[in-house]
Amino acid sequence: MFLIPSATTLAAVLLYPLGYAIYLSLFNYDLGAGIERFIGLGNYGALLSEARFWDSLQRTVGIVSAAVALEFSLGLLVAYGLYRLSFGVRTLNLLMFMPNIITPVVAALFLRWIFIGRWGLLSGILISLGIFPPDFLGDPGWARATVVLADAWQFTPFMILVLYAGLNTVDQSQIEAAAIDGAGAWTLLFRIMVPAIRPLILFVLAIRMMDAFRFFDQIYVLTAGGPGTATETITLYTYSLAFRLLQVGKASALGMLTLLIVAGAIATMIAVLYRREKGSF
Amino acid sequence: MRTKIGRRVILNGLAASGLAAPFIHPANAAPAVQMISHRFPALEYLAEKMRNAIPGVEVNTQLMPFDKALELATIAFSSKSSTPDIIYANDSTFLTFAKNGWIRPLDDLWEKHRQEFDLDDFTPTVRHEHSYRGHIWSVPSTSNVMLFFYRKDLFDKAGKQPPKTFVEYRDLAKSFNSPLRAGTISCLRPVDAALNESSWYINALGDGWFDEQWRPIFNDPKGVAAIDMLKQITRYAQQGFTSAANDECMIALQQDTAAMGLQWATRALAMDDPNKSRVVGKIDWAVPPQGHEPFGGDGYCISAFTKQDPDLLFRILAIATSKQNLRGAAGLMVPTRTSLLQDKQLAAKYRFYPAALASIAVGTGTPQLPEFYSVGDFITRGIQQAVTGEMEVKPALDAATAQTQAFLRGHGYYR
Amino acid sequence: MRLRRRVEVPLFLLLCAFTAVNLTPVGWAVLTSFKHPVDAFAVPPKLIFTPTFEFHYEVWVEKAFWHYLINSVIISASTVVVSVSIGTMAAYGLSRLASRTSRGVLFGILSMRMFPHILLAIPFFVLAKWLGLINTYPAMILALIAINQPFTIWLMRSFFLDVPAEIYEAAEIDGCGSWQVFACVAVPLVRPGVWVTALFSLLLAYNEFLLALVLTGPATKTLPVALAEYGAEDINYWTLSAAAAVGIMLPILVFMMLLQRHLVRGLALGAVKG
Repeated sequence: MFLIPSATTLAAVLLYPLGYAIYLSLFNYDLGAGIERFIGLGNYGALLSEARFWDSLQRTVGIVSAAVALEFSLGLLVAYGLYRLSFGVRTLNLLMFMPNIITPVVAALFLRWIFIGRWGLLSGILISLGIFPPDFLGDPGWARATVVLADAWQFTPFMILVLYAGLNTVDQSQIEAAAIDGAGAWTLLFRIMVPAIRPLILFVLAIRMMDAFRFFDQIYVLTAGGPGTATETITLYTYSLAFRLLQVGKASALGMLTLLIVAGAIATMIAVLYRREKGSF
Repeated sequence: MRTKIGRRVILNGLAASGLAAPFIHPANAAPAVQMISHRFPALEYLAEKMRNAIPGVEVNTQLMPFDKALELATIAFSSKSSTPDIIYANDSTFLTFAKNGWIRPLDDLWEKHRQEFDLDDFTPTVRHEHSYRGHIWSVPSTSNVMLFFYRKDLFDKAGKQPPKTFVEYRDLAKSFNSPLRAGTISCLRPVDAALNESSWYINALGDGWFDEQWRPIFNDPKGVAAIDMLKQITRYAQQGFTSAANDECMIALQQDTAAMGLQWATRALAMDDPNKSRVVGKIDWAVPPQGHEPFGGDGYCISAFTKQDPDLLFRILAIATSKQNLRGAAGLMVPTRTSLLQDKQLAAKYRFYPAALASIAVGTGTPQLPEFYSVGDFITRGIQQAVTGEMEVKPALDAATAQTQAFLRGHGYYR
Repeated sequence: MRLRRRVEVPLFLLLCAFTAVNLTPVGWAVLTSFKHPVDAFAVPPKLIFTPTFEFHYEVWVEKAFWHYLINSVIISASTVVVSVSIGTMAAYGLSRLASRTSRGVLFGILSMRMFPHILLAIPFFVLAKWLGLINTYPAMILALIAINQPFTIWLMRSFFLDVPAEIYEAAEIDGCGSWQVFACVAVPLVRPGVWVTALFSLLLAYNEFLLALVLTGPATKTLPVALAEYGAEDINYWTLSAAAAVGIMLPILVFMMLLQRHLVRGLALGAVKG
C-alpha cells in the first residue's frame, strides 16, 4: 500500500541502529576496557540508582519546562500580534524565522559571542553603560537562564510560524460573532482562538518537548555542563558516557531511558489535554 | 500542475545524479592516505608538510577541534575501520589508542629509518612521552609546555616580580584584580583544559594524581589544599572561566582583560601579533611558580587497521617532522628535536624560548594511564563543583576519587 | 478585524524591535566576520573598525567551501525530494486508516524521534561501513530520509486529515483507482502543506551535523562539518568560522525568500491540526 516505501526505508535504516542501541544497552560494552559482557538490565539498574542520573534529569526537566513555556507564551503573543497586523507581515515573518535556519552548532557559537564574560556583546554593552555585568556563563543561576534563552532564541520562531498559521485557520464566523458580542482583543485570543487550535498547540508542544529534551549542541558550546554541574542535562551525561568514559552500553541504556521518559511525558500530555475530546489525534 | 511536475522532474533528476555521482568516479584512482588531526597553527603547518611529503602520494588531511577529532577516531577505530590511516594523538590519548589495540607500534619502522631521518635527534623526554609498555607508538611532532604569562608592563609599574610561589601568585592576582581586568586567567573547561590547569596544582602542591598502583590519591590532605588554593585563586579569574578553554584565555590576555596566568607555549607567539593582540610586546613569560606544570607532546600514530603500507605512512610522518620542516615551525611550538632546542638563533628570535626551555626542565608529564582522559570526566566534574562552591572541596574530591576507583576497578586494575 | 491605527503602528514597531533584538546575534556574527581578531573581541564592542575581507576570501577561495556547498545542496535536495514523497504517501495511507490504528502507528514512528541523536551515530557508522557506503552520498541521504520521516509523516497526515472523506468517495465513484485518488485528488489539495514540510525537511537535512560528521568523508563533506573544523583553538579561526557561518546561512535564506509565497499560504490554508 502507500505505507510500503516509507516503512521499508524506516525499517532498513532506522530500526537497525535503534535495535543495535537497545541491544547494546543490555551489555557492559566498554570501549576503553574492551569488555563486552551481557548484563541484562544491569545498566538500567546502575543508572536508576545514581544520583548523577536523577540530578541531570531534574535539571533537564527544569530547563525544558522553562524553555518550552517561554517559547510558547512568547510565540503565541507574537503570532497574535502578527495576526492583528495588516502590513509587513510576510517580511517580519521571514526575518523572525532566521534564527531557526541556522545550524545549531553555529547558533551556539553566535550565542557564545554574545554571552561570554567581558568581551561578549552583552557584557560589552553593559560595561559601556557603566553596569558591571553578571557572569552569564559562569554563575549557576545565570548559566541556566542563558541556556533556556539559547533554546528559546532558536525555536521561538518555529512556534511563531506554526501558531500564526494556526490562528489564521480559526473560523472567521466565530470571530465575528465574538466581536459583535463586544469581545476585546485578549478575550478573543484566549477564549476563542486558543481553544480552537488546541490540537495544533498540542502538536507544537509535543514536538518542542521532544527536541528540547535532546538539546545538546548549545549547552555543550555555551557552558559545557557547568559551572560545576549546574547545566548538566541528560544528553550531556549521555555524551560523557559514550565519548569520554567510553561506556557505550550504559550510554545506550540512558538513551533508552530518555526515550521512555519523553514518550511517557508526551503520552501524559495528550491524555490530559484530550480527556474531554475524542480529537482528531 | 505542469510547473509542479517540471520542478519535480528537475529535482528528481538532481537526486538521481546525486545518487549516481559517487559511482561515476574513476575507479582506478589510487586510494589517498587519510589523516585526522586536531587543529592549531603548528598542526596546520605539519599537515601541509604531510600533503607535500612524497610526490605522487595523495594525503588527505582533515583537521578539526580536539574533541571532534577524538570522537571521530573513537567511532572509526572501535569499528575497526580502515580509515583513518594516520591519527593525531597527544600524550594522553595515544595511551588509550595503544591499549585498545587501535594503533600500531612503531619500533620496527623507527629502527629502519633511524639514520635516514636522524630520529635520535628527538629528545629522550619526547621519546619517552610517546612510549608505552616498552614500545614507541607515535612520531613526535610538537612539544608543548605551559608557561606563566604575565604583563611585564603592569608588573614593572607596580614594581613586582613574577611569582615564585603559589601564595605570591594568589596575592599578585588579587592586587591586579579589577572589574575591567581580571587578576588572572583560568581555563577550567572539562575535560582537557581543566585537567591541564589542575594538574599543575595537584603536582606542585599535592602528591600527584595517582600512586604506583594507580589508586587515586588526589583527595589526600595536600590534594585538598591544592584544590583549595585553586579555588582561592579563581576568585580573581576572568568571568566564565568554568567554560573557558585555551582560546578564551588567550583572548582574555590579548584583549587586556587579564593580567597573568598559565597557558601553553604554543600561544606565546600570538601575543605579539598586531592583528590579534592589543598587548603587543607587553607580555613576558616565566617559569610557573613551584614548577610541576604540565608539559605534553603531540604526535602522529599509524592505525592498526590501515590498508596502506605502514612504511609509506611512516616516511610521510618522518619527512613532515624532519629537522628542516620543524625549524620552519619553530615559533609555533616548542621543538621536539634537540638540535633545534639548542639553536642559539631560534632562542634569540623567539622571546618565549628561554622560559620554555627552563619550564620543560621542571615540568611534569601526564600520568601514563590510558584511562586518564576518561576518569578526567569525574575528576574535572569534582573540581568544578569544588571551585564553584557547589560542594565543599573535600567531599567533592572524595566523590571523584570514589568514582575513579570504581571505574578503574571495572577496567581490571587493583588485582 | 482591523485594528485602529493608533494601536497598529505601535504594535508594528514593537514587533520590529522584537525582530531586531532577535537578529542581534546574527548581525553581530556578520560584523565579526569582517573584523580582524583584535577588533572582534574588543571591549567595548567595536562598531567602527577597519574591515577585512580576508576571512570570507579564505573561506570561499582558499578553503574551497564551494565544494562543500555543492555536497550540501546535493544531499539536502535529494533527501527532501525522496523523504517528502514517501512520507506523503505514508501519511496518506495512515490518514485513511482507522483512527486507533493510525494513532498507534504514528506514536510508534514518532517515538523514534525521541532517541538521543548522538547514540545513533555509532550504529549508523557501523552499518554504513559494513555496506561500504562511507564517504558516499547514498549513506547520508538514506540516513537523513529515515530521520526525517517521523516529522514529515506526522505533519502531512494532519494536512490529509482535513480532506473530507466525501471527496475521496466521490473520486472512487468516478472510477479512480487508489493511486489516482492519491495523486490526482488528495495531493493537489494539500499542496501548500507539501511546501511547508519540504522546508522543514530541508532545514533539518541542510543543518545536520553529527551524522554528517560520521557518515561523510572528504569527498562528500557538508557545510556544517566543514564549519565545525574551524571552531577550535586559535582565535584566528573564530573570525574565520564567523565568515563561514554567515556564508552557510545564505543559501537557505535565498531559498526561503523564493518560497515565501508558498509557505505562508501553505500554513494558512493547511490548517495544521495535530
